[in-house]
Amino acid sequence: MKTSWRLIILEALTPLVAILFASLVGSVILAGIGKNPVAVYAGMFRFSFQRFDSVAAILFRSTPLIFSGLAVALGFRAGLFNIGVEGQYFIGAMLAAWAGFGLRGLPAAVHLPLVIALGMAGGALWALLPIWLKVRRGVHEVITTIMMNYIAYSLVHYFVADLYMDRGQKLFMGLGSPQVRTPHIAESARMPTLHGLLAGLGVELPRHVYLNWFFPLALLLAVGFYYLLWRTPFGYEVRAVGLGADAAEAAGIDTRRVLLRTFLLSGAVAGLTGLSPLLSYIGYLDIDFPKNYGFNGIAVALLGKNHPLGIVLSALLFGFLDRGAEGVQALQGVPMDAIAIIQGVMVLSIVVAVELMTRYVRRQQKKEAVS
Amino acid sequence: MAVLEIVASALRMSVPILLAALGAVYSERGGIVNIGLEGMMIMGAFWGATGAYFHGPVAGVVWAVAAAVAFALLHALATVTFRVDQIVSGVALNLLAYGVARFSSITIFKMATTTPHVPKFTPFDIPLLDRVPALHPLVTGLSPLLVLPFALVPLSAWVLNRTVFGLRLRACGENPLAADTLGVNVFAMRYAGVILSGVLAGLAGAYLAMEHVGMYVEGMTQGRGFIALAAMIFGNWNPAGALIAALLFGLAEAVSFRAVEAGSAVPYQFIKMIPYVLTIAVLSGVVRRATPPAADGLPYDREER
Repeated sequence: MKTSWRLIILEALTPLVAILFASLVGSVILAGIGKNPVAVYAGMFRFSFQRFDSVAAILFRSTPLIFSGLAVALGFRAGLFNIGVEGQYFIGAMLAAWAGFGLRGLPAAVHLPLVIALGMAGGALWALLPIWLKVRRGVHEVITTIMMNYIAYSLVHYFVADLYMDRGQKLFMGLGSPQVRTPHIAESARMPTLHGLLAGLGVELPRHVYLNWFFPLALLLAVGFYYLLWRTPFGYEVRAVGLGADAAEAAGIDTRRVLLRTFLLSGAVAGLTGLSPLLSYIGYLDIDFPKNYGFNGIAVALLGKNHPLGIVLSALLFGFLDRGAEGVQALQGVPMDAIAIIQGVMVLSIVVAVELMTRYVRRQQKKEAVS
Repeated sequence: MAVLEIVASALRMSVPILLAALGAVYSERGGIVNIGLEGMMIMGAFWGATGAYFHGPVAGVVWAVAAAVAFALLHALATVTFRVDQIVSGVALNLLAYGVARFSSITIFKMATTTPHVPKFTPFDIPLLDRVPALHPLVTGLSPLLVLPFALVPLSAWVLNRTVFGLRLRACGENPLAADTLGVNVFAMRYAGVILSGVLAGLAGAYLAMEHVGMYVEGMTQGRGFIALAAMIFGNWNPAGALIAALLFGLAEAVSFRAVEAGSAVPYQFIKMIPYVLTIAVLSGVVRRATPPAADGLPYDREER
């Protein structure tokens, strides 16, 4: 009993060890370019937490990562590696944008839910072929989802640059070339910001912060994720398949059905990833639509150990790192890309730490079983 | 003439894909999946351009290979020594490469996304053949980095199929336990496979930055590391197959450029999809069955057998 408690604490500590190690590597890099690491980290904290609008900006940035992290983790829980979140959220954003600018005159109560539903449908659609090939023909999902990502990039590019490019853009004094983007998404399909709610609580946010209702939605989804996996029969099946497909099959679980449903669900959640920026501050789909949320979602899921609470926390950490990096770049002249290195090191060290931890635990359990 | 030009352009486009795909063959034949090829290629491109900028093209190649090999060592350390999930490690390396390239670029050149123009190798012509004007696109203005990869195809086939090293490497990818029992050092072999993939991905990056574009530009690899992975699968984990696939994918890229100029009826974005669609088709057995090494992607742990 005593040892098992020790193990649980150790397990909870592994992400912290990884974060610490990554900050250490970051310190070495910062010292290497002649900056004082302590001053830089302190600057990051000051810049991020001194004002409410800065905190709100962190929450806004972490919103897409919560969605993509949950999508990746859902796959992991069933033993599936969804590297295709990237392509899935691009297709989701494409369908959502299409319904957003294509339909006019709908009341917001109909338009917005429809756009969100299409985003989820787009993500699930893009997950369909890889999982179908997996359960029907045994094709590993990693390579197919990577291929689907690149097909999605090209398709979205075609959609934005050829099919639906906004030709009616007014150019400043008729100069320059038009942006490669779709028409603006209708007001009725925009996600309202949290300004009204926060003002009611006594917090006034400036207009340049776009924190919107997708953030509480993401938190709600994290709770739903927990409920689904640990409180429903389906969640039990998912975890059983993830721990060992053969054993689950022998226990009478229809493995293929579980894999199919989990992956489609993962795709649907992935489809939400791009919607917060799309339906708030950007307002249209363009060729510079933010990339890499899918890949960063893998990092978030790993750091959060595929647990919803961990995912929310690590998405917030990534949001903080992004925001803080911007601050120290502006105020102290530290290139914010140092943070990208820290994030990469963090992922590598978390997976190594978890692996070592698992081995240690297994050895301890063996010892206990013997004695 | 026009056809020859497309062929010449396809050959040039296929070089980075071929190099990285050959690297992937070594790594996966030894049993380690290398999703980090893209990141290693980014390292090769950036440090190749940087080396060439400061000390000339030869230094560029050396720096490119060294940087990519450093990443390969990280991948080997994580996957072979620590037995971390190979896909996860590769994904992490790609994230890391992106950050390292941006950070280094801004510290060295004060620009985050590009380096200045860098010197190339002196181009050469194939003697005698260069007197035929019709062949000019194919036989003039060549770079050593353009010719090398094609020479590496038969060499790699020979190394893998006819040498002791190749046999041992393949054994580690098919059945590491059996190899270990026979006294093959599985860990050393797998390290070797991953490092070779780093060398080749570094060369691929160097070619892109130094010869193809003449500078480093962020995002210039454009997922070629993943296309290379696709080419390796398409080529059924064989050097010769990888060559055919790389040529095919290079052709798709060359044609997609021409399609823009010629105003073709098929949008070029759809031509760009061809490699990815073909790979899915191969994997799903529509074209033919893919046969990866039996122990590809599985960590080897002595204690657990």
